[in-house]
Amino acid sequence: MEEKKLVQLSKEGDEEAFAALVNKYKTKVFHLAFSFTHNRDIADDLTQEAFIKAYFALPKFQLKSEFGTWLYRITLNHIKDYLRKKGRVKEISLDDLAVSQEEEIQIKEKEQEEQRRRILYRSLSELPEKYQSILTLRDIQGISYEDISIILKISPGTVNSRLHRARKMLRKNIMPFLTKKGGINEM
Amino acid sequence: MKCKNVERLLSKSFDGILQPEEKEKLEAHLESCLHCQTKRKEYQIILDVLKEKAYPEPKLLFWERLQPKLKEKKKYVPLTMWKRWSLRAIPVSLMIIMLLIAAIAFLIPDKKEELSQTEVLLLRNLNPLQETRTLLEEESVENKNMMLIFSALEERNDIRRYFP
Repeated sequence: MEEKKLVQLSKEGDEEAFAALVNKYKTKVFHLAFSFTHNRDIADDLTQEAFIKAYFALPKFQLKSEFGTWLYRITLNHIKDYLRKKGRVKEISLDDLAVSQEEEIQIKEKEQEEQRRRILYRSLSELPEKYQSILTLRDIQGISYEDISIILKISPGTVNSRLHRARKMLRKNIMPFLTKKGGINEM
Repeated sequence: MKCKNVERLLSKSFDGILQPEEKEKLEAHLESCLHCQTKRKEYQIILDVLKEKAYPEPKLLFWERLQPKLKEKKKYVPLTMWKRWSLRAIPVSLMIIMLLIAAIAFLIPDKKEELSQTEVLLLRNLNPLQETRTLLEEESVENKNMMLIFSALEERNDIRRYFP
């Protein structure tokens, strides 16, 4: 069924239609939450809460933008609220990037690669929130400039300049690790 | 072209939004600048790692876990909406009541109490029965009637005011 039709039916309270939208977007929304928290349980909770918020906000959704873009905005605001309440730096410390036992086996196989990734994510999480958001949306999620400008409510020109500053800052933060043994330069 | 400006173009190049002339400038600079070549390599590595997205999938039975939460929330939504409206209604109602009180206090004029003819006469130390006596002593019926009519008209006037 066409997405607009699903959204319309969901607005009228059709749970099956909403379930179809959830199935379509759950992974994307989950990945967005995960890229901020790096914790599967927290990301799952945030994803569920974002869908609950979206469900009850649907009557106000005017279909002026894509449902996905609108859902991303709700999710991002929810994640920001969560990080603000919990204290962002503390929440995403290097220790918190730990993963489950199952995933640990894979990490051992690619230990060095994973370590570099964790350094990168750590540096990303230490950026100011607006830079972390834009890098997550563009460089991790691969969302277009136009959709980012809708999600963050900024102009496409600002998307461009903010993205440039964010990448520059991330590179600068990673520089100390670039020269280290096992650092990014050795990838 | 300065290396600082090249960095901005590099960022745009990763998103594929460079204008043809910008692309030319960037490539020309990179050919001759080792520093910017390294920078481009570093940026590319960072972006590649970010794009790798070795992310797990959401936990199993996502919708099955979400559905009961939606149902649970639905129960409370009308209550919370009512609460929200009632909370807004309290200050609004108070304002309306206060405005009504102010309107009553300031807009409705004071009704001045006027004194009856008898009271006026008493205050002037005059005999209030004097008029009645005149009426009773009047012999002409027409005059008596006229006096009674005027007296009745005067009595209908409920304004109580004393004019010294």
